[in-house]
Amino acid sequence: MTDILREHAEQQFAAELHELAKSDTHSRPPRWQLSPWATATYLLGGRLENGFEVSPKYIGNRRLIEIAIATLATDRALLLIGVPGTAKSWVSEHLAAAISGDSTLIVQGTAGTSEEAIRYGWNYARLLAEGPSEAALVPGPVMNAMRQGQIARVEELTRIPSDVQDALITILSEKSLPVPELNSEVQALKGFNVIATANNRDKGVNELSSALKRRFNTVVLPTPETVDEEVEIVQRRVASLGRALELPAEAPAIEEIRRLVILFRELRAGVTTDGKTKLKSPSGTLSTAEAISVITHGLSLAAHFGDGRLRASDLAAGLVGAVIKDPVQDRLVWQEYLETVVKERNGWKDLYRASKDLG
Amino acid sequence: MPASPLTIFGIRHHGPGSARSLCRALEALQPDILLVEGPPDADDLLPWVAHADLQPPVALLVYAAENPRQAVYYPFAVFSPEWQAIQYGLRRSLPVRFMDLPQGYQLSVSSEPVSVGGKPESEDQVSGKQEANGSLPPSLAPLSPDPLSPISLDPLRWIAETTGYSDPERFWEHLVEQRRQDRDLFAAILELMEALRQEVEQLPEASPPPAGEDIEACREAHMRQAIRAAQGEGFQRIAAVCGAWHAPALRPDHFPAKADAGRLKNLPRVKTAAAWVPWSYGRLAWESGYGAGLESPGWYDALWQAGENNLSPTEVTIRWMAQVAHLLRGEDLSASSAHVIEAVRLAESLAALRNRPLPGLPELNEATRAVFCFGDDLPLRLIREKLIVSERLGHVPAEAPMTPLHADLAAQQKRLRLPAEASFRDLDLDLRNPTDLGRSYLLHRLDILHIPWGQMQRLSGKSGTFHELWRLQWQPELAVRAVEASLWGNTVAEAAAAFIRHTAEQAEDLPALTGLVGGALLADLPDAVGALLARLDTAAALASDTGQLMDALPPLAEVLRYGNVRQTDTEMVAGVVGGLIARICVGLPAACASLNNDAAAEMFTRLMAVQRAVGLLQDPAHQQPWQATLATLADQAGLHGLLAGRACALLLEGHRFTAEEVSRRLGLALSTANEPAHAAAWVEGLLKGSGALLVHDDTLWQIIADWVAALPEETFTPLLPLLRRTFSTFTPPERRALGERARHGGQAPAAHRPSAADFDEGQAEAVLAVVGRLLGIQLTSEKTA
Repeated sequence: MTDILREHAEQQFAAELHELAKSDTHSRPPRWQLSPWATATYLLGGRLENGFEVSPKYIGNRRLIEIAIATLATDRALLLIGVPGTAKSWVSEHLAAAISGDSTLIVQGTAGTSEEAIRYGWNYARLLAEGPSEAALVPGPVMNAMRQGQIARVEELTRIPSDVQDALITILSEKSLPVPELNSEVQALKGFNVIATANNRDKGVNELSSALKRRFNTVVLPTPETVDEEVEIVQRRVASLGRALELPAEAPAIEEIRRLVILFRELRAGVTTDGKTKLKSPSGTLSTAEAISVITHGLSLAAHFGDGRLRASDLAAGLVGAVIKDPVQDRLVWQEYLETVVKERNGWKDLYRASKDLG
Repeated sequence: MPASPLTIFGIRHHGPGSARSLCRALEALQPDILLVEGPPDADDLLPWVAHADLQPPVALLVYAAENPRQAVYYPFAVFSPEWQAIQYGLRRSLPVRFMDLPQGYQLSVSSEPVSVGGKPESEDQVSGKQEANGSLPPSLAPLSPDPLSPISLDPLRWIAETTGYSDPERFWEHLVEQRRQDRDLFAAILELMEALRQEVEQLPEASPPPAGEDIEACREAHMRQAIRAAQGEGFQRIAAVCGAWHAPALRPDHFPAKADAGRLKNLPRVKTAAAWVPWSYGRLAWESGYGAGLESPGWYDALWQAGENNLSPTEVTIRWMAQVAHLLRGEDLSASSAHVIEAVRLAESLAALRNRPLPGLPELNEATRAVFCFGDDLPLRLIREKLIVSERLGHVPAEAPMTPLHADLAAQQKRLRLPAEASFRDLDLDLRNPTDLGRSYLLHRLDILHIPWGQMQRLSGKSGTFHELWRLQWQPELAVRAVEASLWGNTVAEAAAAFIRHTAEQAEDLPALTGLVGGALLADLPDAVGALLARLDTAAALASDTGQLMDALPPLAEVLRYGNVRQTDTEMVAGVVGGLIARICVGLPAACASLNNDAAAEMFTRLMAVQRAVGLLQDPAHQQPWQATLATLADQAGLHGLLAGRACALLLEGHRFTAEEVSRRLGLALSTANEPAHAAAWVEGLLKGSGALLVHDDTLWQIIADWVAALPEETFTPLLPLLRRTFSTFTPPERRALGERARHGGQAPAAHRPSAADFDEGQAEAVLAVVGRLLGIQLTSEKTA
């Protein structure tokens, strides 16, 4: 165990990557550390021929990952879209780690991201002293990726102002980055590509120009398909987070997680799991990530103020806050859900009462 | 064995690959007779296939002549191997025969489960029967939707999946493309199926033999007999086309003829009739859940056309993507040629990643979604509707034999003595009379099916509840509509019910659905009501307009209380009604906030309607939350006076508020601190339409009287106009009665207050008989009993 709070994917799973590369017999596109097949195995997990167990990084639809990898194998850029908390950045990090062995060539998109962050900047002291020169140039992550034939990542692409976004167009279509100051350009080596992530909810904030959009293949990462899948994700993450935060409470019972997951899924999908009753959906996303935080929140309440066991009342506090994001509309939705679904359901009485008490 | 004069072609139903290789094989064989798996009942209809106006997709409909509800559909598309085989035979003037066990036997053997109508699940049954032409035992599907083993349901799919293909058609294509000698191919299929059949026979007898097994044996025996008959007639090159599964069982020399003849002896038989009906690709696709339902007829059509035009696999992909782009452009979505190029590249690299030789429909769809649709599912749905399924409709020539729906309509017209006449005719129906009621049902059902034979006229004057006035005029194009409607069912009632269900699935908002419920009740379609309610429940959950919810409640409450729904549905109606009331209760306070006069008046009407509905149901589980909601309303700040006053009145009526409480609230509402308009509205809400109540209800009278009496003069004068305004909504006799009562010091007129003392038993006895007749019940006085 290192003292680093969070290791990069290629550090944390170095052993797996090594084993995969060793047993990988399929052909690799230029400068790929693994073949597309092995990359898929790295993300989705599986057992290698020599018996080595690769842990799953992404639990969900195999086809989506295949589309993503096939996209990167052609020279099209990949755009991962999804509501917050659907593992977009997670998938992008692991793809970069598997393909290039380096997930750190990253541009974080914010409202303040400038063109320099995407292209290159200058060392101004040197620029003033020597004038424009190769030595005064400070390459950005994308430029480095182009030079080394690696994968560059752009996080939250739609948070970046539109005019800055468009700096990517030349990079993606011409695969080159002109440096007019030096009258030169950087041409990308084979193996270079871009993985961008964008948030569904930001739609319309900085909509991609259609010229830029056309250069991406889009893969939508959905919320987990089945209850079991989501329960597994939540349980894995809660277990690792609980260790990190050193919560003294007992690990939550699987039933409690399942109940919460069902509740989230029903509200998210707008229909009960038996498919019989339609529901209104609240304005929040109710992602898996939020389910995880409700559970950890409940655990810490139970540990510090309760008897150490996660009970409905501990859960309800975080739950109401997660569901009701808009104080008027969401409250109606929540009340309707309580009255029409939770109240009637066997074994959910404690949750109904706890939620009612909170108002 | 010497060169057998018989060649068996095991095909995959609706498989374009099968159809293509069958065409080539027939060309090579040059048979002199064609035997096709299909109902001999319909042999007479075969020549129609050559008719220019009979355009696939069409279905061959075989039904019991006396009971059209028992029916089987055999759908054909242009890419159905059977269709191509029949076409081939007719083009060369060869004898073409169906060789399956006649449906006359099958319908009689499995009469109950196969019946298509009279059951709520009739729609499933109809489509289940599509499998009659599906790869396997047709009777299996309707009898046991949960198939005995996936192998026997669709053997090719099973093999395809075992060998790692997602799509049997791809597997088939692959098989066909690689082997050019098609006759060898069919021999190989024969072998493959034989091995598979042995495999199935060896399956542990975990489940009891399916009900359809007998029929299966009979069908195969009959097919063998048909082949023997053809051999007996001296044909030299017999071609038999059947589902791949049956192929090994059709070799007559492998089975004793005697046993076959014995098996077929003494089978019960019913008289059948057959007709061509127009079909649609959508209907071919309908039942994907059943396994043999076709998921992508449009795609198969494209594959077939590609084969016709000798396109290479890459060209198929390119052409498909170009079509996608074209379609999207037609819908104003951006789709450039560059998109097409990228989509084709992605589809091909996906296929490579999955070790497929060429992209199949899944790869094409995924590439389309990633490149064209930016990950969005919506355009993909469009593509699915228009391209993958496609909306192609078949056509049947007008002179082809009549469909059962048309026949049923004719029979009903005869029974109800309602001839189809081209001139206007007005019809006054008295719904208490069974014949007239039947007529009304028929006309309403036809109306639902968009066969506007009768126009319902507005009634004036006459008591409207049991009279209907119709204007009838039959027009020739209505016959065409009747043929179109036969897509939905074989009798008018069944088709109307199926159509209503279909419309309900499309309808989005509550009022439309409530209207449909009304229509279904008028047309006496209890089956459809169930489906409607399910949709209504869904729509109610999503409806954000409480007003719509309130409008939907009263008709449903009436259905629940008096309606003609069957026993099983009652629970469902109760569920929907409960959900509606719960949602109304949650949403009402917000929906009543800040309304202007017009909106408040509208809400007032709704409030009363809901109150009546809740009263009608007499269920404390509904009354309690409803009253709690009314109480919230009564306390709600800024509520329009009309509604606040009415909430008070209703709560007084429901004994939730005491007289003192209402009196206090009246005083509050009418205190001079309030806007006069608000105060007037409040009193109006409290008293509106209840003039008679005020005359006879002591409590209400006392509240108003006490309050008026307690008013100091300086308040009374400004309030007088407001009160006057409210009282002016009462009828003159009511106002007079109120005046009378006021003059008598608040005592109600004595005649209205009978007591036990002045009750004359004898006089009452005399009226009892008349009252009994009016109510239609037997009344006996306690004395005589």
